[in-house]
Amino acid sequence: MTAGRLLREARLRARLSQGELGKRVGRPRTQIARWEQDAVDPGFGTLRELLRACGFDLHSELVPYEPTEDARLEKNVLLAPERRVGRMLRALGQR
Amino acid sequence: MSRLAEKPRFDPYELLGALESRRVAYILIGAFARVIQGADEVTEGIDIVPSMRDENINRLAHALDDLGAERIDGKELDVSPESLVKEAVLALQTERGELKVVPEPAGTRGYDDLRWHATGEHIGKGLRPRVASVNDLARMVAALGRENELPQLLQLRRLAELEVSRGIEL
Repeated sequence: MTAGRLLREARLRARLSQGELGKRVGRPRTQIARWEQDAVDPGFGTLRELLRACGFDLHSELVPYEPTEDARLEKNVLLAPERRVGRMLRALGQR
Repeated sequence: MSRLAEKPRFDPYELLGALESRRVAYILIGAFARVIQGADEVTEGIDIVPSMRDENINRLAHALDDLGAERIDGKELDVSPESLVKEAVLALQTERGELKVVPEPAGTRGYDDLRWHATGEHIGKGLRPRVASVNDLARMVAALGRENELPQLLQLRRLAELEVSRGIEL
């Protein structure tokens, strides 16, 4: 998850336009767009400020990193959607 | 008494094929959409967000009729724009498995919001349903805020990172 994607998710969930969010935080709409596109990194403090302007907060905590799950997902991403569905249906049949 | 006394075997191809043959405009969401996007989970149902335009809801009603759909709560099934807007989730049992119709999923503004980033995905048997983007799927799971769906949310976040690292614009 990137800062831009998290910001966009928060803004959409708050039902704000980029311009409306910009007004709330005193920044131009174009700056909000650059952050959302990950063209510019807002930094942790600014990101938190932006999320709070959308009515959310950033809950940060350290969680264990699971490399085995990552490896599974990386494998899935390489499969065509048709094969992803096929795999799931086979798993379903095995239940 | 329900005609679907026994739980039918889940057949996503037949389910989606019925929607396609009636030319229903919809976006796939939920667990089945997450699987198509690469998530590692298993589901026995399909969730859709239909376009709420009158003619599309008429087409949806015909498709549900073809599928022998019945409400899971046992109430009478009324598929009209007026009745659908009152339903957060219309949960149905069909002859091909469970189907949930969700006019406005949590965290979104419905079909017209999700279609911008949805993509048509070839899932086999000539079907290419429009599937909500990884980010929009994450938005929905996050908006629901269910603790038991945290693993799904983390998977979606990771999938988004992987797609970015592979240079795919979502």
